[in-house]
Parts: sequence; C-alpha cells; structure tokens
Amino acid sequence: MNPNILLRNNVKLKGNGTRPMIFAPGFGCDQNVWQSVAKDFEDEYQIILFDYVGSGNSDLQAYNVERYSSLEGYAQDVLDVCSALDLKDAIFVGHSVGCVIGMLASIKHPEYFSKLVLVGPSPCYLNLPDEYYGGFEKEQLLGLIDMMEKNYIGWATAFAGTVMSNPDRPELKQELEKRFCSTDPLIARQFAEATFFADNRKDLAKVKVPSLILQCSEDVIAPAAVGEYIHKHLPDSTLNMMKATGHCPHMSHPEETIFLIRQYLDDSSAIDV
Amino acid sequence: MNEQLNDAPCGFLTLSEEDAILSINRTLLKILGYDHEQLEGKHFNFILSASAILFHQLYLVPLIKLENHIEEIYISLKAADGEEIPVLLNAVRRVRVGSSVIECVVIPMRKRNELENELLLAKKEAMTALHAKNEAYSDLEKAHEMVKMQKEELIEVNGKNEKYKMETEREMELAKKIQEALLPVPISNEHLDIQAYYKGANQLSGDLYGYYQIDDRRFGLILLDVMGHGLSSALITMSLHSIFQRLILKGSEVETVMKELDDILHSLFRNTSETSYYCTGVYLLIDTDKKEISYINAGHPPVILQDMNGKQYHLQSNRPPLGMFEGISFKTNAITYNKDSFLFLYTDGVEEPIGPDQLCTLIKNHSTAPLSTLKQEIINSLRVEENNDSYKDDQCFILVKLN
Repeated sequence: MNPNILLRNNVKLKGNGTRPMIFAPGFGCDQNVWQSVAKDFEDEYQIILFDYVGSGNSDLQAYNVERYSSLEGYAQDVLDVCSALDLKDAIFVGHSVGCVIGMLASIKHPEYFSKLVLVGPSPCYLNLPDEYYGGFEKEQLLGLIDMMEKNYIGWATAFAGTVMSNPDRPELKQELEKRFCSTDPLIARQFAEATFFADNRKDLAKVKVPSLILQCSEDVIAPAAVGEYIHKHLPDSTLNMMKATGHCPHMSHPEETIFLIRQYLDDSSAIDV
Repeated sequence: MNEQLNDAPCGFLTLSEEDAILSINRTLLKILGYDHEQLEGKHFNFILSASAILFHQLYLVPLIKLENHIEEIYISLKAADGEEIPVLLNAVRRVRVGSSVIECVVIPMRKRNELENELLLAKKEAMTALHAKNEAYSDLEKAHEMVKMQKEELIEVNGKNEKYKMETEREMELAKKIQEALLPVPISNEHLDIQAYYKGANQLSGDLYGYYQIDDRRFGLILLDVMGHGLSSALITMSLHSIFQRLILKGSEVETVMKELDDILHSLFRNTSETSYYCTGVYLLIDTDKKEISYINAGHPPVILQDMNGKQYHLQSNRPPLGMFEGISFKTNAITYNKDSFLFLYTDGVEEPIGPDQLCTLIKNHSTAPLSTLKQEIINSLRVEENNDSYKDDQCFILVKLN
C-alpha cells in the first residue's frame, strides 16, 4: 500500500466486504456525490472513494499541467489508486466523464477490474456532422467554460489561492471539504477542456471488461442516442434505460441506481457460477 | 403568488424536484418575453441558454441537491426572441407538504456582465504577462546558473594553468642553468684577457658564445645569435654548441667551422619546409704568435677591433647568415693586430638599444680602463636604454684585450 497515493487522491476506504468496489466521480465533482449509492453496498463490499488530483480534497501540489491535460492522466490516477491498494477484479462505478476514465484505465490494466458500471457515459460530447451526435456544438461547450470561469469570480477564487499557498493551514482544507464541486479555476478549466473536447470513440472497442451502461431519460449531457452508440460499440456491454431524469441519477434517484447496479452484479455473478 | 412578489424588482420562479417550472413572476416573464401559460410546466432548460443547460446540469443540480441552496451563480437565460440574458441566480430548496420546491431569484446583470468580461480579459492579459515574466525570469536563472558553472570551470582551468605554469617555470629555470653551464669562464693569461656578458630576453637565450684555447698560441672565439629568442632558439644553440666546441678544439679552419654550422642548420629542418631557423655568427681564430685574426662574419653585427691608439676597425659581415642559403662557400678574412688592442664582439640585442656609434664611443673612452670597468659601463648603458624602451632581445657581448 502506497500511503502517498492514498493521501494524494484523498482515498477513503469503507465497508465490511472483501470484494473491492471503486467509485469514480464525474467532471467537477468529488467523492461526496457517491454518498447515498456507496453506502448501500458497504455491507458486502470494500468501498473505495477517491478524488482526482486537482479536485475535492486531493493534494493540489501534485497537480501537473501536462499530465492532466488529457483524460489519460486522470485514468492514471485510477490505476495509481488500484495499484496502491493492490486491487484485483474490482467493480468500477463511474459517473459521466468518470466512465471514460474508467474505460481507459481498464484498457491498460484489465486485471484490476471485473466489471464496469457506467452512469451517464459519453465518449464524445461534440456533434460531428454526418458522423456522430454527441449533443453539443463547440460554441456551447466554450460557453460552458466561460460560465465556469465567471462563476469562479463569485465563489471560488478567494479560496483557490489560499489553499494552494497555505498547505500548512488545515482549517483551510476543512473549509475546502465543505465546498462541494469547487476546484481551482485553472484546474477546472483544464479538466473541462480535457473532458468536453475529448473523442474516445475509438477506445470503446478496446475495452475487454464487461460493463453496464445506465442511461437516464432526458439527460441533456449524455442523451439516449449516445448511450445506444456506446452499447453498440462497447463489447460485452448491457444497456439499461433508467426512469430517472437528468444526468445525476446517483444523486437524484439513488434507489433506482442502486437497484440496477445490484441487479447487474447479481445477474452476472449468477452467470459466473 | 402575491402581487408584491409578482411585480418585485427581480425575477422569481419555483421549480419542482425534476426542474419543471411551477410558477414564475411577471417581472421574469417580462424579461423573457413569455406568457405565463407558455412556461408553466416546462423544464427549466427551456429558458436556459445551451451553455447554461450544461452548467446547470453539471454544477447546479448536484449543488442544490447536496447543500440545498446556491448563491450568486452566473448563468445566462434564453428569452423568447433568442436573446441570451446574463443573470445572477440564487436558489433555495425547501420541503413543503411532502415534496420539495426550489425557489429561485434571478437578477439581470447585462452591465455588470460587461464589466466582468472586461475584468476577465484584463486578468487574462495580466496572467499572460505574468507568465511571460516568469518565463523570462526562469531563462535568466538558467543563464545565471550557466555563467556560474562556466566560472567554476574557469577557476578550475585557471588552477591547472597556474600549476602548469609553475612547473614550466621550474623546468625553464633548470634549462637556463644547463645553458649557462656551457658558457666558458673568463680567460686571463699573457696573451689575452677575455670577459663576457650574457642575458636572455626570456629565461632561455638564443645567443651563445664560446672561446677556447686551442694550443699554446691559438685561441678560438665564437658568437652566435639564433633568430628569435626563448625555448626554440635556445634548443638550436644547444645543438650548435656541441658541433662548434668539437671543431674549434680540434683546431679546424675558420671556414670549416662555419661551413659545418651552416650545414647542420640546413639538415635540422630538411624535412620540415615550414620551419627554418637561421643564425648570425662570427668566428675568430686568433694566432697570438703571428698577432693575426682569421675570421668569418656571417650576417652578424661587425666585430670592433681597436688598436693601441684608439683607431677602430670593423670586421664586417661578408657572408649571409648561417642556415639561410644552402651550399654557399665561406671565405676566411684575416687582419693583424698590435699589442694592447681591443676586440669587441656583440649581438644586435646590445647594438640596437645603445646604437653602433655610441657603442664605439663607449669603447674608445674606456680603452685604458680595466676590462671589467668597460664591461660594467656597457651593462649600465644597456640598463638605462632598457628602462626607456620596451625593447627586448637576448643580449651578449665578449670583450678581449690582446696583449
């Protein structure tokens, strides 16, 4: 076990089981988004929660502009955590961009994972005329990045600077912990660019670990057409349309999310036997 | 909705847990350009710009879920005519009669938005400038580090040089002693008195002289000046020395001595056309019985012979310097002398600072003085001239009193 990685990625271990279940947050969020869902699996699984370097309560000093300019860098965070904990056959549960990050990690080290649960995944957010419908035009994504930037004026700039320059003041870290979804503006911008301008469609076919796709209704970020596209190109995948609307069913509809994950895990373990 | 809220100076709307619009006040309807019926029951996304839809889903939904309120959020609404309206949004989630409702207040901020755009632009420019400054600073640091390293290298090389220099000086000092050991001691007998002076421009000299008593009546005197000065010239004098010493002591003819020296200089550099050394020189064979001097002057300053009456004869050069032209013949000249004559042989290092006329006068004026006095007078003149001038050459002269 490498304590440096565990500190760096703010890894939290919970649960009473032995089979590992690792939860990866989506863009801009930290491990708190998994609270309700993860809690339900604590009795039978070893729950692993973490933050990507640059978000949540991770070690901002470890941020490296080059590494985190692409999703591969974030996938390496997942692999580092798996390696530090010496995981095998873990169930990976990812949300939004966390899904692609998990897929990339599983391509490099399939032995770490037994199943992938993908909540609201999208391999590419951009529309590519006559070729692919991702849901967004480039201008809309640039507008989002601008909006992120402007909101940092109001509620994030003040602490972003102080935390970076005061690593010896734990009370600021406490403060940060309360600030859900907020990160250093430059890091958030880089993560947004890495996320929303990525095109990982070609990687889908390389994934060897079986997966469950949880597709919400009326998800503006990952529309149903995208879920179907993934299902078509991702080998050994199961697609499940949810009643839940929006993009965050793990938060808005935790019961349905838990139910579908359990159903998938139970079904596939029955096949295993 | 009460009238006050309906016409409040801010937009107000309530959303269901599923983000459907439950109610909306008149102020906001006016801002957006819709009727109440057009919006009621619609999804919140309906009045959001495309970017705001993303932002709402990514940030606001989870934020409201977890913290039950948001404050001062900048988003842009989309009006009926398509215009994007920048607004500030505050929202609170309240549980009412079993279900939760999200209450939102929006305030348009077109002017403030422009200001913020300007601020952001200025900030970006400042960041770019700061980045450039940091880059320049880091380049400077690198350059500084490089200079420091180079300085250290220089110091190290300098130390090596210093050591090498000291070793070389020690070697040169030793070489000088070896060279000086070849010089003969003064002769003083019934036939003649000989004294000499010898000083290299550097430690080593390209000048060399020798005088030998061949038998009971004959003496051989030789003075050579190899071109240049320093180590290379000194090495050549050394190789010539062994030749002339052997030849002179054997009692060889004057032309034989000079011819052999000429040959050796040519043979030394036969295989290297780039280098060649020549050497001026004069050889005098003195027969004290006949009172006759046989001599050859090869490109050397004249030898001064002064008789007892102070009359001076110049034994001029009648041959080119040794080592210059191959295969030339040497012809011996002869001159007789009287009792109490002087001979003065010198190299150009002595002639040039004092001047030939002054040199002749100096000898004439001290013709009756002891040899050592004359020698000292010449040395003094050389010292004075040396101080006036930066002229530096090997210096050598021989004084002979013929009895």
